[in-house]
Amino acid sequence: MLLSIENLEVKYGNIQALHGISFHVNEGEIVTLIGANGAGKTTSLYSICRLPPPEAPRVIAGDIKFHGESILKTRPSDIVKQFNMALVPEGRHIFGNLTVMENLEIATYSREKGTNFDEEYQRIFDLFPRLHERRKQRSESLSGGEQQMLAVGRALMTGCNFLLLDEPSMGLAPLLKYELFRTLKKLNEEGMTILLVEQNANLALHLAHRGYVLDTGEIAAEGTSEELLGNPDVKKAYLGG
Amino acid sequence: MDFIIQNILNALQWGSFYALIALGYTLVYGVLRLINFAHGDIFMVGAYISFFVAGFLLGPTIGLSPAIAFAVTVPLTMALTSLVGVTLERVAYRPLRRKGAHRLYVVITALMCGLILEYSNLAVLGASRLKFPALLEKQIWHLGGVTLTNLKVLVIVTAILVFVFLQWVVTKTRIGMAMRGISYDKFAIPLMGIPIDTIIVFTFVLGSGFAGLAGLLFAMSYPVLEPFMGMLIGWKAFIAAVVGGIGDIKGAFVGGFLLGFIEVGVVTVFPSTYRDLFAFTILLLILWVKPTGLFGMPQSTKI
Repeated sequence: MLLSIENLEVKYGNIQALHGISFHVNEGEIVTLIGANGAGKTTSLYSICRLPPPEAPRVIAGDIKFHGESILKTRPSDIVKQFNMALVPEGRHIFGNLTVMENLEIATYSREKGTNFDEEYQRIFDLFPRLHERRKQRSESLSGGEQQMLAVGRALMTGCNFLLLDEPSMGLAPLLKYELFRTLKKLNEEGMTILLVEQNANLALHLAHRGYVLDTGEIAAEGTSEELLGNPDVKKAYLGG
Repeated sequence: MDFIIQNILNALQWGSFYALIALGYTLVYGVLRLINFAHGDIFMVGAYISFFVAGFLLGPTIGLSPAIAFAVTVPLTMALTSLVGVTLERVAYRPLRRKGAHRLYVVITALMCGLILEYSNLAVLGASRLKFPALLEKQIWHLGGVTLTNLKVLVIVTAILVFVFLQWVVTKTRIGMAMRGISYDKFAIPLMGIPIDTIIVFTFVLGSGFAGLAGLLFAMSYPVLEPFMGMLIGWKAFIAAVVGGIGDIKGAFVGGFLLGFIEVGVVTVFPSTYRDLFAFTILLLILWVKPTGLFGMPQSTKI
């Protein structure tokens, strides 16, 4: 088991966001967390990434383990380095004042100095040829779809083998959504483990191997994607009938 | 003609001092969105540190020759002044940041820190002025009617080198990119595996180090030290940074040199008592026309 969340209870201030949830991700899997707004999906990701205050959710019970070892004491910036885990946050959070290329370079910060990353840059540009065209542009001049590609590319440049994505399809035109999800599938086939948080349950379950349905801070359902797609409750609540 | 060249040189020298201090305001603002009002006093502390370091190195216990003493004083002053800046960050600003304090309180804290530096200096060393020892043998060159000292050349060249160095840091190194990135999106910095505190400490090291260097060069040029020597020059450098566009290194240097030229320009025409009045008025007019400063970008983000 690569990542396991065990009876996690999390608070933001006085508000309890997660009520003892458990889920896990195996190596090489695509796992999705689906659920409505406020169900605790983003909170789960933030807890895993140990984001610094004031964004940090406070873990009050339970544990988050990586290869069986608790990561609750790890500094946020060390998560990337120690566990090769990278988050593509909701809203992309690219560095708009830096060029596309600089955004990719900055992500190599925690990696060996003086390494030649040219091959890896090339891999990103193969995945997202548009980024290559725009590599010298200030990234805030990119379209929403291109910014999302950059956010994914930047996460990959941290050298991760476990990608966490928060609502990557949000605000993208349908065609771009499918393109992005195809890319995720391709990455997974090359060995990338993926934890995907999505509101678009249909899209997410068609990509993922397994899924968990979150509802107001609790796991409401879990299973393989086929099971969840066939589950009448899930169908009714999240798949539009 | 000689008169004009002479004044241009003077303006460049003063501009260099303003620029070297202004960059500290700009760097810290770029990373933390904090006006570090203690920075002028860091400059003062730098001057005092260089005084003691130089005195020690020239003194009977060590007895270095002035040239070697100077070569050792420069890095030592910069390192020790950096330490003061970083300590200030650790002791005063970081705890507030951790508690998520509003920016206003951090700015007030910075003002207090500046005052504490001034008055602890006054308390420990007294009000008497200190005379800075001669570190470099003064050389005066006469080129036609223009008088040039080695110190003046040193100050100007230093400012230019520092500018080139900083440009290199922020555009070519990963930590420099992180310094720029943090000003746009602080949230994403740890996601890149970058510890925010490391970037902040590095920023204070750079800013304070160069303020220390400015303090040393200033003390060599105008060898009288007193606890409040950083106040007015600090304010001026801050205003220069704002006029240049705070957060932008190029802006800090252009703003610094602009202020130098305005001041020297005013004094050549008007009595010297008009200098600051004119300088500040002109800067006010520039901000009136371009409130973000010459190189400042309008803030489009949510920081």
